[in-house]
Amino acid sequence: MSRIGVFVCHCGLNIAKTVRVSELAEFAATLPDVVVAKDYKFMCSTPGQEMIQHDIKQYNLDRVIVTACSPLMHEKTFRKVIENAGLNQYLLTIVNIREQVSWVTTDIEEGTAKSKALLNGAVYRARLLAPLTSRVIDVNPDVMVIGAGIAGIQAALELANTGKKVYLVEKNSTIGGHMAQFDKTFPTLDCSACILTPKMDNVLQHKNITMLTYCEVSGVKGYVGNFDITIKQKARYVDHSKCNACLACTEKCPGKGVSEWDEALVKRKSIYIPFPQAVPQKPIIDRESCTFFKKGKCRLCEKVCEQKAIDFEQQDTFIDVKVGAIIVATGFDLMDTKPLVQYGYGKYPGVYNSLEVERLFNSAGPTSGKVTMRDGKEPQSIAILHCIGSRDKNHHEHCSRVCCMYSLKFAHLFKEKTSADVYQLYIDMRAAGKGYEEFYNRLSEENVKFIRGKGARVTESTEEPGRLIVEAEDTITSKFMKIPVDMVVLSPAIVPRAESKDIGRLLNLSTDKQGFFMERHPKLAPLSTMSEGIFIAGVCQGPKDIPDTVAQALGAAAEALTIVVNDKMELEATTAMVNPASCCGCQNCVRVCPYGAPGFNYEKRVSEINEALCKGCGLCASVCPSSAIIARHFTNEQVLAEMEGLMEF
Amino acid sequence: MTDFKKIEENLKTEAGRLLKEGLVTVVLSYGKGFDENHPMPYAAKTIADVENIVFNQYCNYNMARYLVRYPQGTKIAIAVKAADSRAVIQLIQEEKVKRENLVILGIPVQGMKNPKTGEVIDSKTTCGLYNPVLYDILLGEEVHGQKNALPYEVLAEYEAMDKDARWEFWEKELNKCIRCYACRKACPMCYCDPCFIDQSKPKWADKAPQSPGNMMYHLTRFHHLAGRCIDCGECSRACPVDIPLYLFHKKVAKECEEMFNQKAGMSIEDKPVLVDFRVEDSDKILE
Repeated sequence: MSRIGVFVCHCGLNIAKTVRVSELAEFAATLPDVVVAKDYKFMCSTPGQEMIQHDIKQYNLDRVIVTACSPLMHEKTFRKVIENAGLNQYLLTIVNIREQVSWVTTDIEEGTAKSKALLNGAVYRARLLAPLTSRVIDVNPDVMVIGAGIAGIQAALELANTGKKVYLVEKNSTIGGHMAQFDKTFPTLDCSACILTPKMDNVLQHKNITMLTYCEVSGVKGYVGNFDITIKQKARYVDHSKCNACLACTEKCPGKGVSEWDEALVKRKSIYIPFPQAVPQKPIIDRESCTFFKKGKCRLCEKVCEQKAIDFEQQDTFIDVKVGAIIVATGFDLMDTKPLVQYGYGKYPGVYNSLEVERLFNSAGPTSGKVTMRDGKEPQSIAILHCIGSRDKNHHEHCSRVCCMYSLKFAHLFKEKTSADVYQLYIDMRAAGKGYEEFYNRLSEENVKFIRGKGARVTESTEEPGRLIVEAEDTITSKFMKIPVDMVVLSPAIVPRAESKDIGRLLNLSTDKQGFFMERHPKLAPLSTMSEGIFIAGVCQGPKDIPDTVAQALGAAAEALTIVVNDKMELEATTAMVNPASCCGCQNCVRVCPYGAPGFNYEKRVSEINEALCKGCGLCASVCPSSAIIARHFTNEQVLAEMEGLMEF
Repeated sequence: MTDFKKIEENLKTEAGRLLKEGLVTVVLSYGKGFDENHPMPYAAKTIADVENIVFNQYCNYNMARYLVRYPQGTKIAIAVKAADSRAVIQLIQEEKVKRENLVILGIPVQGMKNPKTGEVIDSKTTCGLYNPVLYDILLGEEVHGQKNALPYEVLAEYEAMDKDARWEFWEKELNKCIRCYACRKACPMCYCDPCFIDQSKPKWADKAPQSPGNMMYHLTRFHHLAGRCIDCGECSRACPVDIPLYLFHKKVAKECEEMFNQKAGMSIEDKPVLVDFRVEDSDKILE
């Protein structure tokens, strides 16, 4: 016989509006084994908590059911409550009648009926609950940061400054990310490199940061506090421990590759550093374009290298590291605008995307900061087209957030560097940010022509070859316009990095419709993920500007620190175990476990679960055909009993 | 047509040789039953046993059923027909047996008969292949010019039914079940010990031969065999009350094949499809 207490929360009107809470409590009181049932306005408030604790003692309760919001919200709160009253924390059941009932119906009859069914199931299940003991594990104090753009750099520096060791993994040969490609930053127009490169240098100098450039995360095992990471160091063909960065090799190299850094606007050498302030300032060889790798002859770089650092035999190597927490800051790509044929990107040389234009402005860029087009001429008229592929149901529904502001920045820089007429074709001008509206006002006075209407099409002029015609509707005057220009700048949708899919898979991160990583809670846990110990920062979570990215990076660093600051941590007791007598040896559990917890004992021909690795997701139990796997706290008996209770309705 | 006498001779010769040379400790094939129409599964362990081996058009049993009964590491020779070889492959995929411990005696055969009805067994109830997919020694002439197997053709009528009609159909069919578990016994892929249905904690379903326990038993078994059933049809032939179990298995196999582009037991390189995640997997299953 159990002694169950049921506590029904109104959550103000959140629940009470569509569930008759007092009727629910009265109903609960009629159920077998329920000793006391009460409803209260805010069960999570101090008086609510005290009421539960009081009743546990007064009625000598041994099970507590709280019907309230999602367990994601307050399960921890109520576990503490009953633990402080002397009950094992796993003797609590939360029935979610808010997210799963009151918020998804407007019908109070329906809401009350479903709440009763769920509660009845919970009572059935509660009887079978068993006290469990949480596990205490050692925590590795180090942190890994994936992606060394401004978000990754900031997070790594912050953690390193607290004395924690950080592995900063970057897939490119230099850190810096997209921010290092920019010339100026809005709205203050301060030089991007001037504020970023000191941070890059700090990373290089910091004794607590291990910088792993030209590396990719290739394997992740383990769990919060104890991740085992395998990192692939891609072959650079230059031994960086010997290289003294004299760069004689890059001068002599006859090979020509496409400069990724300059958005393919120019060629670079085959042995190269991407840009002058790159960190580390040591070259790599691009195998694709290298004359030696292509033709088997050359090795000029090897001849001029006094340090004997060139190594054509170098292979990819693998580095194993252990960390306690992970920050993912993999950043973004621009949407490929070639498929949007109406804008002629890739077809007309006068059409540019925004990152290419960033490089045109940059003094270290392909034109040394002069605004000249692919034909070498300075444009006399320029149209900047907002929202290409974003805010567009056919492509990406989301707003890319930064395009309005950087388009204004472009307009300003065009005005500063050329005598061209500049047109802005926008749907809405979104300038919500500190100093942003002011920046917009400033631009309004700089003789930039604002046209409220989305650019519809770019065609080549039939009268003046080389000139482009931008077609749009000015929605203010309802006039259809054809604007002849020399240069068109597209502001494409910001999308997650192509590789972020693989990272997401390795780390079990879920993504939203657009592929951005999902946060645990959009408001209250915006940097956490559903995988404990893994945090996200920057644009990989959704489009945002530099200030927001930096703020997130600092937040993610703090979140990671809350884990690695302790040497021990408590883990959920809800792990799985195998009953060897029932195990049929099919190894389904071994194959489906995302954490590698079950292993097969070939001698005994049964599976065994390493509880240190088990996260209690229950996949193994659900694929076990002979029900040999017991998922603690969600045993087959408990789940079946709950279903039986539900089915009674 | 298949020369059954010749295959029987070859089977005896190879079995004798393998046992004599000590390459295997047991040869799984067929032996005499109470009459010619009812041969029995037979495990030859000595050279003297080899004389008892028979092979005729009623030797339907899928001998792969018996592989899991031997301790790991036992060297086994097994006589397999087309679908049987797929069962062996599937068991290798699931690591229940090791390829190196097996000598697979392949039997290409056409014109097997169901002893109950005397009818020729075709792709209606089996996978429709004539030649074994995997073997070490072939005991007869490969069947040439076999027409493209159409194992799912028989589903047309079933698929024409709507959801309610299908439910009604299975309710009617499965209510015939007397819970003798012959289907489970005959199935090479049903190797759980204990089977979920025999468990008492939790008790998954009523053990009396009635609905809904019958439904629970069969639907769960169908589910456990999804992506694993190699379509030998033994369950249906073993069934004393003639439940067309093959229909459900074929339907699931077809869906699996369409969704994941993999057929059970066709290659030892494959991984069991339902517990193997591939990036290119269809998301259709989630819709």
